[in-house]
Amino acid sequence: MTIVLVLGFLLYSSWPLIAQQGVAFIVGSEWYPFESLFGMLPALVGTLWAVALALMIALPCGVAAAILSAELLPARLRNPLRFSMELMAGVPSVVYGLLGIWVLLPLLESQLNLLTGRTLLAAGLLLALMILPTIMVLAEDALRGVRQSQREAAKNLGLGWNATLCRVLLPQAWPGIRVATLLASGRAMGETVAVMLVVGSIDRIPEPFYNFLQPAQTLTSRIGREMAEASVGSQHWAALLFCGLLLAVIAIVVSLAAHRKASVVV
Amino acid sequence: MRLRLPLDQNFFGKGLVVLLAVPALLLPTLVLCYIFWQAAPVLSWGFVVGATESAGFGMADGIFPQLLGSLLLAVMACVIAAPFALSTALYYRAYASHRQQRLLMVMFNMLQGVPPIVFGLCGLVVLVNLFSWGVSLLSGAVVLAIVVLPLLVLNTLAALERIPQQYSEAGAALGLSTGAIIWRLWLPESGINIMTGLLLAMARALSETAPIMFTATVFSGVVWPDSIFSPVTTLQTHIFYLAQEGNDAQVTTIAWGSAAVLVLLVAAFGLLSRMLQKIGAH
Amino acid sequence: MPRYENFDDAINCKEATTRATTARSTIFCHGENLDGGTMFQGKRSVLSLAVFLLGIFSGSLHAALMIKVVGSTTVLPVVAEAAKQYRLMHPELRLTVSGGGSGVGVASIERGSVDIGMVSRPLSRFEIERLGNTIEVIAVARDAVAIAVSKAVFESGVQRLSLAQIAAVYRGEIRNWRELGGMDAAILVIDKEASRGTRHVFASVVLGNARARAPGATIITGSNNEEQAVISQSDQAIGMLSNAWLNDRVRAIAVGEGEAALLPTAENVAQGRYLIQRDLNILVPKNSSAAVMDFVGFLRSEKGQSIAEMVGFHPVR
Repeated sequence: MTIVLVLGFLLYSSWPLIAQQGVAFIVGSEWYPFESLFGMLPALVGTLWAVALALMIALPCGVAAAILSAELLPARLRNPLRFSMELMAGVPSVVYGLLGIWVLLPLLESQLNLLTGRTLLAAGLLLALMILPTIMVLAEDALRGVRQSQREAAKNLGLGWNATLCRVLLPQAWPGIRVATLLASGRAMGETVAVMLVVGSIDRIPEPFYNFLQPAQTLTSRIGREMAEASVGSQHWAALLFCGLLLAVIAIVVSLAAHRKASVVV
Repeated sequence: MRLRLPLDQNFFGKGLVVLLAVPALLLPTLVLCYIFWQAAPVLSWGFVVGATESAGFGMADGIFPQLLGSLLLAVMACVIAAPFALSTALYYRAYASHRQQRLLMVMFNMLQGVPPIVFGLCGLVVLVNLFSWGVSLLSGAVVLAIVVLPLLVLNTLAALERIPQQYSEAGAALGLSTGAIIWRLWLPESGINIMTGLLLAMARALSETAPIMFTATVFSGVVWPDSIFSPVTTLQTHIFYLAQEGNDAQVTTIAWGSAAVLVLLVAAFGLLSRMLQKIGAH
Repeated sequence: MPRYENFDDAINCKEATTRATTARSTIFCHGENLDGGTMFQGKRSVLSLAVFLLGIFSGSLHAALMIKVVGSTTVLPVVAEAAKQYRLMHPELRLTVSGGGSGVGVASIERGSVDIGMVSRPLSRFEIERLGNTIEVIAVARDAVAIAVSKAVFESGVQRLSLAQIAAVYRGEIRNWRELGGMDAAILVIDKEASRGTRHVFASVVLGNARARAPGATIITGSNNEEQAVISQSDQAIGMLSNAWLNDRVRAIAVGEGEAALLPTAENVAQGRYLIQRDLNILVPKNSSAAVMDFVGFLRSEKGQSIAEMVGFHPVR
């Protein structure tokens, strides 16, 4: 049965390529289906930016929370924290979309004095919220996977808490944290609904390049918005499928990287 | 009382960690409280079980059709995925060689990494158009089944791996064939855990929106689906449609109410699986 | 908590946690041993589930007649409300209505997956070529595409704009309300997805070509609802909106040159004087069933037209 699934995969991936015979290179920067412009770049850049932003925000926070939970908190506080994190992990993404559109956007607009809150930053923040539980739970497990004897040895050597953390615990837990990051970024990349609502959906590369306070487009948002309206078999349809293919390929690469790194660990 | 704080490097290190972790500590509670606070005006038993075919944007008297649609999709998806997951897990445990095991694991990790919307896209191409199933319960359920399959397999595998090795060895020593071991030993032993995994998969299926948006749902007109080939309305897409408004205070409250119900539903499945776990541990 | 023997186990187990929703999944990862027999309660629940599903399966044997309608979000309120009323008269029917945009309506009719498609614009040449003789285009209401601005903009003095000015805004040539006689604030230009009927009509009148691009757009929204929400939440927005979605915070401005600028009032639309207006159409395949044609008739009847008026459109005379 897994073979069937793999077949399904290859089947759909060949679709757009069949229809793409006419279109030479899709790494253009303009997306306008009516003029047969199918540049992938704006959406790709948007996706990468959104994920990067999310990681930049969620990683420090999640790892810090993991350190807190694993090293500093007493056991009776640990469980509620973990429980609440896992509860949050279960909240459907569409509910995060609601939060984004009715809480986050007005907040951004008023605090940062923006023309519109629908920006990459909003998408990044929302995604950070969504991947925070993942990072925290996995990082905590990684930290607790470090043997107690390591900590005792550090203490015997006279290392303070800071030094123990930075020199002993984090390096040992690092593979696990790295895996957590990769998995979280995979999840962030594939998130559709919440991002669709807050990102602005305009196919434009932010200018300057690093300006995340501008509306932009991500691959998932584009697929979500245009999926139903492209007539089957048309070039637009094929281009959307190609977006999907791109998304799948990147996600698979990330996922494989996460697991290969895991098996290389001591 | 004099407070003696060791204001050394370690203290600041810990302080930094605590500071960075504050959002993580506060956010879950804040988020959940906010959802329920906003939903409070509209949450009532009538809201949950009332049903009208909503015409006009979200001005329904109740969200029962959506609730039903969500549940039906989730349950059907798991029912479809369960045999495949079970057989794959059993094969992995009982028959596969090391190389095959590694290969299977790689495949599942690959599948799990793929964003669900890609499966939705596939489903649109293959199920809705090619097979002409149309926008229907079945299309959505199959797509969701593919989405939860990796999760289900991994959970089932974990459930099977909890059976002590001695049991299987004892069975083999008694002369049972592999098939008999599976049927009479493994399945009854891990049945509860497999069910727990199933419930978790259902919870996961409940929270997916993108794959079912264009393969299974319509905006209005359906209360009880006639057949598996009819479309449904779901809580997730209902919230999505309502999210695109934002003026009418009544609509926003309905949206929050639907969100609260959805979160409760997901939590309920989780709680159920936990209870089942406790029963199984006896 | 038990430690993992190696990371492979940990990670593989953690797969479950990343996607699972409660703490119980982590139980699976710990090598706790079960002892004693357990009842296989799973069997019973699977059975009951099977019975339920069988019920749904067999339902297909006596399924009610279903009419599927898909397409423009502008036409949707009319058809959805009419569907509700129509069902009261014909309870054996099922009418499902869905949005997605005019583009979806056309695409779905092409695929043959729906019975009625809703479009809020005239069909393009290519579409007529493709669909041609197989469908009928029936108007169910008349609507104006209002150029909507936020309340603050309206009250700051911008109450009429010429087509050229609107085009300049959407091309990015004018970026501040000050240049149009309003307050000193950047213009939040709201464009729509290219396949939306409302945009099609707007672009063909204002930008000259139904498929023209709008380089000055700040964000892109989808349905009328979404756009209305953005305009009402902002103080600086301009967008293209169907007349029925205007409210206190979303105001229409008069369109035209100087004194000849007209608001999309009922009178102006009825007499065709407002510059940006369109028929709201439904696409009906010619070989549709009697039930479908009956419903179409209902839409065009007195009752149906009064529903259109109630929603905010103008009846088709």
